[in-house]
Formats: sequence, structure tokens, C-alpha cells
Amino acid sequence: MPFLSHGSYRIRYELDGPADAPAYVLVNGLTQYAELWAAYRDALLARQFRVATFDLLGQGVSDKPALFINQDGHVAVLHRLISALGDGPVFLSGISFGGLIALRYAIEHGKRLSGLVPMSCFAELSPQLLLIGNALRTGLILGGTGYLQDLLLPMNLSDQWLKPLLNKLDGVKRQGWLVNDVYALQNLMESFLDFHPITSQLSSIAVPTMILNGEFDFLTPRSLHETLRVEIPDSALVIIPEAYHAFTLEKGALTADLLARFAEDVLAGRWKGNKAVLIAPGEPGGELSPFPAGYDHLRAIPVRRPSP
Amino acid sequence: MSAFLGPLDADGRVPQHQQTRVAAFLISAHGALARQFALALPLRIEAAWQTELNAQFYRESEIVSLLQRATTWMPDIALGYMAASWETAWLPRPIALTGDRNLAPAVNLATLAHAVHAAIRPAALLPTEASPVDPFVLALRRVEFESGRLLQAQILFLKGPELVPFRDAISAALENRHHEVRRLWREMLASIGIDARE
Repeated sequence: MPFLSHGSYRIRYELDGPADAPAYVLVNGLTQYAELWAAYRDALLARQFRVATFDLLGQGVSDKPALFINQDGHVAVLHRLISALGDGPVFLSGISFGGLIALRYAIEHGKRLSGLVPMSCFAELSPQLLLIGNALRTGLILGGTGYLQDLLLPMNLSDQWLKPLLNKLDGVKRQGWLVNDVYALQNLMESFLDFHPITSQLSSIAVPTMILNGEFDFLTPRSLHETLRVEIPDSALVIIPEAYHAFTLEKGALTADLLARFAEDVLAGRWKGNKAVLIAPGEPGGELSPFPAGYDHLRAIPVRRPSP
Repeated sequence: MSAFLGPLDADGRVPQHQQTRVAAFLISAHGALARQFALALPLRIEAAWQTELNAQFYRESEIVSLLQRATTWMPDIALGYMAASWETAWLPRPIALTGDRNLAPAVNLATLAHAVHAAIRPAALLPTEASPVDPFVLALRRVEFESGRLLQAQILFLKGPELVPFRDAISAALENRHHEVRRLWREMLASIGIDARE
């Protein structure tokens, strides 16, 4: 199991695929761990990519600072990992908390990237997200990691995904519960306490950017992704149909296919963001379709956009 | 070496020699915390924060009492030597807090308590087949759950405004305590066939 050094701390990472292939670096969400990207690793390796995954500082097998973690530390770790990949094309993707870290990396080190895919992401804390985040932290404190998982599972995954697992949810939660410690998760969550919005810096992200948002994402709804679409010049917003916040778990094959196609389009010079709003297909390999012209993609009912 | 307690018996119970060592370690650590909180607790509570000392003292005592009663003990001659090394490790350590020596005892107690509550996860040793109605299994789950709650007082204190000027020293002292407590826990587990490498 290889480790990177970050000061006195060790960061566990995994790197697979040919050294001369374009690389995808995948950044975990708050309660995740690197193994959850296994299906992505396999799918992207089969599409001739190199894949790097890692546990954030405070997560999984990486070291867990006892008291303080800040977002700058995560960006520094990511920079160290990407620097170790050589000079080839690098595509960076992250989900939720990891998406925010990826955005910050793109703002600070965008020249090193060929493409960016923030997923279920945000650049600022809306009042809803702030209050939900505080409530989740209180849940962690009062009920432990298991209770936090109990809150997140129904919030972030669909009935279709949950229904066959209802009698074995303890098994679903167990690995995350084993590898993530209460104090470390709390430190990660508290790294948000001094969160400064990065909306005003998004326009400096010059790389092609595909923003992925689940149709029914309650935790980070469309409006938060809209901020990214409007501010990042070469971006497109892709809505994943019938998906929630954790669509990377629920629709892995589709999402991995979208990641691969995005990178292939960028490398072939075909990508044009145009700040478009698109709808992903239901299955891997299907066509993306434009959001119906004239309708407001921020609404959940078909409402026409006011004429300019 | 396994990552979990066992092999369990037919009723899903943890072997007695493992129960004995794990419980002895936890009683030593939480007992030390109970004693240190008892010493820090004034006869009459004058300040609001001292109510937390009272809570911590009784919760630690509850953990010790629970483990004493829920464990199926067996004779273990190695425990005398092991317990002596554990008890030595719980003693206060010098901490360099430039300009404010009065804070050192509280920081010492808080760093030890943080390390014990955060770094020791006895419920994570339980295999999925462990009996949900076995007292020892329930005790380990309760110790881990209560530790997560008790930890909050240490986090609030160690991250609090009073200690901001000493942040580097606090972090270093806490990391050292974590390292030491984890090492002792890992060594004890290795002695009963459990590989708890991180």
C-alpha cells in the first residue's frame, strides 16, 4: 500500500495504469474512502486511462490529525499527488467535499489540469447547506459515525438503490464505519467552520469543466451547481436523471462513462462547454441531450424561463 | 493474526483470554481518567465548565464498572506486568506552554482523555457474527459510543480560545499522546492474536 508524505503525515494512495496514459485523479467525499472508486478504476483503466485515488488526510488509511485539519492541507496533498504523476494530461474529479477541494485545486493550480469534473458540488454555503452541515455534525457528535451514515444514506440515495438493501444496511455501512473515526470525521467537518466562498474565484478556472449534478440532489441542489456553470467559462452542467447526491455510488457505470467521454472529447479537441445545460443518458454510452429550450433548469416543474 | 476478536464460540461470544486482556486495558485507561477527573473535581462546583468534570468522572467510573461486570474473566499472569506499563503511560507528561503553567495539568488530562476516547475503538474489533446480546459485546459497543460523546469536552477545550496561543504545543502533545496510546493498544491486541496495524 503506497503512501505519500505530507509533513509528518502519511497519505495512502493507489495509482494504476500505464505511466504515459492521461490520468484521472478522483477525490473522495466526506465519509468515503478510496476503495469506493474501485469500479471507476476498472472502467477508466479499460478506457486507457491512468487512475489515482487516495484517502484524504483524516480519512480511511491515511493519517488522521488529532485536532486540526484545514482545507489548505487537502489542496496541498492533492498537489503533491498530481505532481507525482509526471507531465501528462491530468483530469481531476471530486464529489461533494472532494469536489470543493478539486475546485480549489483548479483555482490555485489550474495550469496543471487538462479537465475538471466537480460532482455534487458547491462553491459557497447556502443557508440550507450550512444548517444541514451543522445538523449532520451534531448528529455525528451525538450518535457517532453510524448515525451520520443513517442520516446520509436516505438523503443521498434513491429508493430503488435502498430497497433491496434495507435488511442489510449494517453491512453496507460497516466498512465506512470501520475505517472512519468520529474525531477525524469531526475534524474534516470542522474544516468548514472557516469556509470562505470561492464563487468570485471560479472565473479563473480556464480548463474545460463538466459539472455533474443529480436530478434529485437535495443536499447540494441545482442552484449550487448553477453558480459553477455561470462562473466557470468553459463549463457545461450535466444533470444525471433520477439521481441523488451520491450518484457516484448509485450510477457508477454511467458516471465512469461520462468521465471517460469528457476526457476523450477534451483530448480530441471536441469539447465545447458553452455553459450548456445537458441531460445525461440513463445508461452508459447513450447520448447527452440538451435541456429543453426555453424551460428553467432550476425548477422541478416545467416552467418557462422569462424572456431576456 | 486477525483484525477482529475471535474465533468466537458457538454462541457468538469472545474468547475469555481476549475478553480479559481487552477489558483490563480499557479499565486501566478509563480508570486512570476517572481518578484524574476525581482529583480535578472540586467539592463545590463554582464554574459552569466544572459540571463537565463531574460528568466525565461519573461516565469514566460507569465504563470501569460496566467492564468489571460484563467481562468473563480468567487468570492471566502477564497482566501484572502489562498493567504496570499501562499505568505508567497514563501519568502526566511535561508540556511546554510558554507563559502559563497553570494550564498544563488541564491540558495533560485533556490530551490523555482525547487519545483514549478517540484512538481506542473497541467495538471495531467485533466481528459481524458477535452475539448482539452478549454482555461483553454490548459493553465494548457502549464504551466506544460513550467515548465519542465524552471526547467532545476535550475537543472543545483543546480547540478553545484559551489555548489558541499554544496551538502548536497542544497539537504536538496530543499527537504524542495518540501515538503512545495507539502503540499500547496495538501491542496489547497483538498479544492476543489481533493485528491492529493502521
